[in-house]
Amino acid sequence: MITFDSVTKRYPDGTVAVDALDLEIPAGKTVVLVGPSGCGKTTTLRMINRLIEPTEGKIFLDGQDIQQANPSTLRRGIGYVIQQTGLFPHRTIEDNIATVPLLNGWAKAKARARARELMELVGLDQGMARRYPHQLSGGQQQRVGVARALAADPPVLLMDEPFSAVDPIVRATLQDELIRLQGELHKTIVMVTHDVEEAIKVGDIVAVFRPGGHLAQVDTPEHLLGAPADDYVEGFIGFDRGIRRLSFFSANSLDLDSDVVLGENATVDEARALAGRGRPWVLVADAERRPRGWVSAADLASRPGTERLGQLPLVPVGHTFRPELDSLRVALDATVLSRTERAVAVESEGRVLGVTSYEQLRDAIRKAEQAADDELAQGAAT
Amino acid sequence: MNWPQFWQYTAANALLGIVPAVVGLAISVPLGIACVRWRWLYGPVLSATSVIYAIPSLALFVVLIPSTGLGNLTVIIPLTLFSLCVLVPNVVDGLRSVPEPVRQAATAMGFGTVRRLVRVELPLAVPIVIAGLRVAVVSSISLASVSTLIGVASLGYFFIDGLQRDFSEEIYAAIVAVIVLALGCDLILVLARRLLTPWSRKQGGRATINAEGGQLLQEQAI
Repeated sequence: MITFDSVTKRYPDGTVAVDALDLEIPAGKTVVLVGPSGCGKTTTLRMINRLIEPTEGKIFLDGQDIQQANPSTLRRGIGYVIQQTGLFPHRTIEDNIATVPLLNGWAKAKARARARELMELVGLDQGMARRYPHQLSGGQQQRVGVARALAADPPVLLMDEPFSAVDPIVRATLQDELIRLQGELHKTIVMVTHDVEEAIKVGDIVAVFRPGGHLAQVDTPEHLLGAPADDYVEGFIGFDRGIRRLSFFSANSLDLDSDVVLGENATVDEARALAGRGRPWVLVADAERRPRGWVSAADLASRPGTERLGQLPLVPVGHTFRPELDSLRVALDATVLSRTERAVAVESEGRVLGVTSYEQLRDAIRKAEQAADDELAQGAAT
Repeated sequence: MNWPQFWQYTAANALLGIVPAVVGLAISVPLGIACVRWRWLYGPVLSATSVIYAIPSLALFVVLIPSTGLGNLTVIIPLTLFSLCVLVPNVVDGLRSVPEPVRQAATAMGFGTVRRLVRVELPLAVPIVIAGLRVAVVSSISLASVSTLIGVASLGYFFIDGLQRDFSEEIYAAIVAVIVLALGCDLILVLARRLLTPWSRKQGGRATINAEGGQLLQEQAI
């Protein structure tokens, strides 16, 4: 755990980068510091490994005042990843990664073996071990940066805008990998970003800074979207927070309609019987219950009653979603994109579980928001 | 043409060229580190090396002869001082060429100041330092011929001798020898750079001497 106790950083010219900051960063969590430039988020990060010394206040790492520690020893226990990677151009990838183990006095062979392990962990090809940083792409270099930071297995990892210099597609991949890695490693991660989407995606806790080095709100991403503390936070999060909040509600709560699914050997008559019960669309599935396409009640009217549904022209299924994995946002998106205003829920093998429409979505969203708001109110009460 | 004497003087000339550059490097590295560490020091140091460079070598010989006599040392000391004019700025530029994120990352990994200097900053300065060393060696080899004026053996002897005896082949042979020596040393340094910096993006570095230094060098060589 990292604790900031009334920490202020004032520069000689009088600028206050961080103003009487109190912040607790729980062990094993990813805490993202987010805010506009000049809000003190990077200064806050760099005070943790003493690249910047606070003017007032104290910072504790697991109860120890970091001012009392030897800076080099302290830093070897804290991984550090920066935007420009800061890889050593004159060292091979494996030696870059092995930097801290070597500093800690490991034998070269052992340190390199550790480097290979980490390359594997962050998804780098072993063939790159002997190359130099400039021979790698930006995304690969950033992976090396993460591997290097993790090499000595430090409990704390500091990341200063680690993914802002790579293109959006690579950035999304790196974010996903960080989430995966954190799921395995449970480090105490402090990350700085100016990208609130990134903060909400990777953070367990998001600390929103306002200019002048003050905290505006420290909360889970879900609460941040659901109940921004004030207009500043709301404006900073962006306008479509209602939709984005749906990312935190599981699609599992959806009431799925499984009665509208018929096999491809079913007849037009059977489909008509269903359509008669107020269902304008019928989903046709194959023998393994994988969705094949939609057929509308209007189309059924002109067909002979004994024709098999598999023979009819079908409207494509479009995107499907998996209730046990996906959020309501994914289900809503699939519904919006569907030509039938309905989305198909499938299980891991791709077999149909049921169908959802706007009505079911509306009910599920209302219930999920109600539950989240109740929880918020309870949290506020205690 | 006295070939044994020619080879002997060629070797002497090589020594008079290489030793000052090597000693100059040994002085420039700590001096350059100090100039980077304490910024205010660089201005005065740069001025001092330039002023020294402006002094004609012959004048320095004359000043030194009473204390060091008519020996190699009297030639090596001025040439060493001249080499500082190129080497100090190159050491400083080399150290300053280390990207800030690299320096910061090194500190954050837990390198102390000295270790960071030795393991990160100096290795990264090597291409620029070697570029300066190439200029220093070549100019020292060329300048060394002046030593003949105080009776210290070098290829310069054949210029004077050839002139006095109206023996132009001797002069040409000595000029070729100076050029071959200079190119040979330069080649060795280029190879050394390739060996020392396999990580470097482009091979074949350029000297980053300042305009003033470059001009002075040319004037001295004439």
